[in-house]
Parts: sequence; C-alpha cells; structure tokens
Amino acid sequence: MKKHFREWSVAAALGFILVALAVFAPPFYHPQPLLSLVTYEAPTLIVAVGMATIIICRQIDISVGSLFAVCGVCGALLLDRGWPCLAVLPVSMLLGALMGAINGGLVAGLGLPSIVVTLATMVTWAEALRWLRQGVLVNVGHAQWFGFTQGEGQLTIVITALVILLINAVGLRHLAAGRFIYAVGTNAEAARLAGLRPRLITFLMFVRLGTLTGLAAFLAAVQAPTLQPKPDNGLELKAIAAVVVGGVAISGGRGNLWGVFCGVLLLTVVSPISPALVYLGIPSYWGKAIQGAIILLAVVADGWRARKQKF
Amino acid sequence: MSSPTSSPPGWKAALRSHEFILLAVLMAEWVSFYFAGTHHTSHGTFGFGTADAQADILRHTVEIGLLALVMTPIILTGGIDLSVGSVMCFSEIVFGKLWRDAHMPIPIAATGALLTGAAAGGLNALLITWLRLPPLIVTLGTYSIFRGLAEAVTRGADVFAEFPASFTFLGEKSWLGVPVQVYVFVVVAIAVWLLVHRTTWGRSFRAIGYAPEGTRFAGIPVERRLALAYVLAGTVAALAGLIYASRLNQVTAADGTGYELAAITAVVLGGTSIFGGSGTVHGTLLGWVAVAVLSEGLAYANLPRELGGMLTGVLLILALSASILPKVLSNWRARRHTGTSTSQPPPPAST
Repeated sequence: MKKHFREWSVAAALGFILVALAVFAPPFYHPQPLLSLVTYEAPTLIVAVGMATIIICRQIDISVGSLFAVCGVCGALLLDRGWPCLAVLPVSMLLGALMGAINGGLVAGLGLPSIVVTLATMVTWAEALRWLRQGVLVNVGHAQWFGFTQGEGQLTIVITALVILLINAVGLRHLAAGRFIYAVGTNAEAARLAGLRPRLITFLMFVRLGTLTGLAAFLAAVQAPTLQPKPDNGLELKAIAAVVVGGVAISGGRGNLWGVFCGVLLLTVVSPISPALVYLGIPSYWGKAIQGAIILLAVVADGWRARKQKF
Repeated sequence: MSSPTSSPPGWKAALRSHEFILLAVLMAEWVSFYFAGTHHTSHGTFGFGTADAQADILRHTVEIGLLALVMTPIILTGGIDLSVGSVMCFSEIVFGKLWRDAHMPIPIAATGALLTGAAAGGLNALLITWLRLPPLIVTLGTYSIFRGLAEAVTRGADVFAEFPASFTFLGEKSWLGVPVQVYVFVVVAIAVWLLVHRTTWGRSFRAIGYAPEGTRFAGIPVERRLALAYVLAGTVAALAGLIYASRLNQVTAADGTGYELAAITAVVLGGTSIFGGSGTVHGTLLGWVAVAVLSEGLAYANLPRELGGMLTGVLLILALSASILPKVLSNWRARRHTGTSTSQPPPPAST
C-alpha cells in the first residue's frame, strides 16, 4: 500500500470523481457518449504508454505530436488511395518507428539531450507537414471506423488500446526486458556495469514510442471522415501530464502503467470535450484550467510527501 | 564550454567559439536574403534589403526575443520554464479585462498585467524552491493552468480589441526609424546581460547549474536566486504580452501559443547548455536573431515560411552536435587507445 501510495491516490481521486458523477450526474454513464469520449482519448492512452517508458528511462520526447500528425496524414492518404486498413497500419507504425529511430539515434548515439533533440524534430516534422500539405484536408472516406459500423469501430479502437496497455504493463512488470528499463532509468552507469546496454535500451525506447505513436495516429485517423493535416497541439504535453499524474517520476526509474492508466482516465474525465463537465454544470472552457490544476495538485502532493519524509 | 574562471581565450579559440560560428551563420543568412529577397524596380527598392524590412523583422520577433532573454538565466541554473507563453497570454487577458471591463486607465491595467506575470513567476518559483520539484513538471502544470485560465476567463471566444492610440503606440509606431518596442527590448537586454555577466547573482545562476548542492554549501541562497530567475521570467513574459497586444491591437486566449519552445530554441541555439552551468546572454541574442532572420527572410525571397521552421530544427541539431562532437571524438579515441594497450593511460583530453 505504502509502496504504491502514489498510484492508489490517483485511483482514489478517479474513483471519487466517478462516484460523484454517478450521484450528481448519472447521465454521464449513458453508454454512447461515454464510449465516444473513451474512443477519442484511446490514442492518447497508447502514446502515454510509450511516453511512460521513455520517462522511466530518464528521457523525454516532446515530438510525439508532430510524429502523430505525420503518421496520421500518411495513413489517411494511403487509405484515400484505396489501400486496405491492414496494409496501412504497418506502414504508419513503420513510419513512426523510423522517426523515433532518428530521435533515439541522436539521443543515444550522439549523447545529445533528449528535450532539445525532440524539440528540434518536433518543429522540423510539423513544418515539413505544413509545407507539403498546405493545410489541405485529407479524405478518409470509406475507411472511417475501418469500414465497420461506428459502434464496432469504436469498440475495436478501445479494445486495441486496452490490449496494448495490458501487454505493456505486464511486460514492464514481469519481463526481464521491462526491468532493464527501470535499471537504466535508476542509474545508467550501474546498469552498464551490470552488463546492460543503456544506450541501446534508450534507443529502443524511442523507436518503441514512435511505433506506438504510429499506431495511435492510425487509430485516430479512422475516427473521422476527414483529417486535418496539422500537429495535434499539446498531445506531447497531454501524454507527459498523464504519465506524471499517474505517478511516474520525471527523474526516472519509478512508476508503472496502471498508474498511467488512472492518470489518462482522470484527465479524460475532466477534459474540455468530456460530457462530465456539462452534466456537472461547469462550462467546458474551464476544462483546461481544471486539467492544469490536477497536474499541479499531483505534483505538489509528490513534493509535499518527499518534503515530509526528508524532515 | 569555458568555465567562469578560465582565462580569456586567444583569437584562434575565439574563431571556433559558438558565438562566432553563429555570427557566421547569421551573416550567411543575411547576405543570401539580401541578394535573393531585395527587388529593384523603377519605383525604388523593395524587400529584405530595405530598412523598413529590417525594422519589420525586429517588430515581429521582439516578443520571442524577450522570452529568450529571460529564459537564459533559468536554463543557466539547469531549469526550464515551459509556462512563459501561457503566462504572457494570461497577463494580456488580465490587462484586457482591467481596461475594458473594469474601466481602468491603461497604465494601471498594464501594471496589473506585469504584477500578474510576476505572481505567475512567483508561483513557479514557490513550487520549485519550496517543494524542490523539477522545473519541467512544475512549469508544465502552470503552462496548462494559465492557458486554461485564459480560456476560462474569455470563455474561449472573447476578444479584447481597439485599444487607444496611447497604447498601440508601443507596438505599431517607430521613433527615429526604429520600432518603439525595440527600445524596450534593448533596455531589457542590457539589464539581463548585466545581471548575468556582471553581478554575483549571475555568477550564482551558473554555479547552481553546475552543482546545486555545492552552491548551497558555499553559502549562496539558492532558493532566492532561483526565485529571482523565475519571477523575472514571469514579469518579462507579461511585458512581452503587452507589446504583443499593442502590436496586433487585440488580445485572444490563443496568444503566445508555442512561444515557450521558440524561446528555448533561441537560447539553446545560442550555446547555453540545456543542463545548465554554461552559456551567455549575447549567445542567446545571436540565436534569436539567427532564427528571426531565417523565419522572416524566407518570405522576402519568395520561399515558403515553413522552410524556416524546418531549418531552425536542423540548425538546432547541428549546433548541438558541433558543441558535443569534440567530446565524443576524444571519448572514442580514448576508448580505442585503452582498447589496444591497457597499460598506458588515455591521452589528455585537451592539448
């Protein structure tokens, strides 16, 4: 209990809000709007899963918003040309992996600071996309919801996201490869002396985040009949926020994906597009401020606890 | 990366210094845009080469320059401030509210905006120093909360506009051929340069970046120094917001989006280490001008603006690689050396 205090407190906050919604705003639990909300945020969960391991590895990636946009637009263009969904998905993931490999190569290979490298690639990809597409909408058309009905498509997306979460959470907890990530994030030099290869692991984490971003972008692209060819502004900060709220330490080596899951859900419930705010009588334009307050609250709780332990 | 105590380098070292390389890049940019972006017609000369165009470039980028200036001390301490763009926007909204809805005169509304910025910086400083939280996370939170408050106060749609001429003077007019806001910028730039390079406060910023605990043991009040850097950033962000509002003659909840990253880009391009401890204010100024000329000059040369952003990203990576390459090479040489003959010590890093 004490060991996972951070995760439990996020879960408790989430539970409190969900119970409050059940009491004061039962219409929140109507299946259709709820499913739409969860579907909309499912790609965020997938990106957050990748972001969590990057941060556990003591790195950061702020280029995911641009990667997401590039993968999404390329995927949508292929769908528009009549490619089947099953062929577009690997292309999108491969493209994400490639761009992740560039980040990873610069960070792990040359030893450049990840925040600056990904700042640079973020700007570069976003501007390249804007230049090449000039803001022209991309038609997804017949491939919307993979060609299924809306309900089936939404369920497919949500289940995919949950399966990704489950596999990664179990792998990170129980596989040796998962423990390596914690080892590198806790102390890269000690990990190296223990026979691990921190630079290779760091590189692979960036590739992994790129691949997951490619998958998330594809799952987001099929949700609407047309796609805006611009970076999803704030996806990177949304993912980082969910990861931090979920109890992953920004200094690396600590946290797990169940906490991140709770973090994503918590930020989803109060997001500006969530019906929860409407039912509680809070205007939706307060959404972002409430999200910010939750992030700060989580951070302050962390700091307060650390301070109390120290004295 | 010279330490604060190193002796002044010779002219050969100066030629290899980060600032000099940046200056060369800047000259290359300026010369190529001069030839590609200046058009001579029978009615006179137009485009990049005219004084008006140069003034416009400054006018359009002064806000980012201000943010980059005050970001420099923060990054020198090993910190970062992601919230400056949001603080800038929220201060503008406060200004608009005070002026239009509370019917305050412009000077009082502007003071209110500056105080809001200072208070926002103070909140960052409080969380970072008192709770010892990582600046990245604290300012990520305040980034969200101030942008969110701006959206909440304006209901996401409200726009403040049509400010009186006594206020738009600041952003739209020129004095002696130079935009008025450039004078403000020069004053802030000199003040920040003096603070960082000519006071013990500035030296302690770098010391904190090198070794925060060591600085504390040396008897320097680390908390107060950090607080100064963040409050200064908030206040100047509000000032940048006022200039922005005055230049566009309107205030919306989307102002300053992405400015924090543009400011960080200028600082890092200017040679300040993102880990703290080394860097200069004049480097930041060069980094800012290099980005400004690149992004604004392309339009005069009939090239897509987007190219400017792409090249900025590439330039950033190249600048970083250039600064780190000697270290990577010497590490690599040392490793190869010890690999072949383990009995000899590795060669000294500097010759």
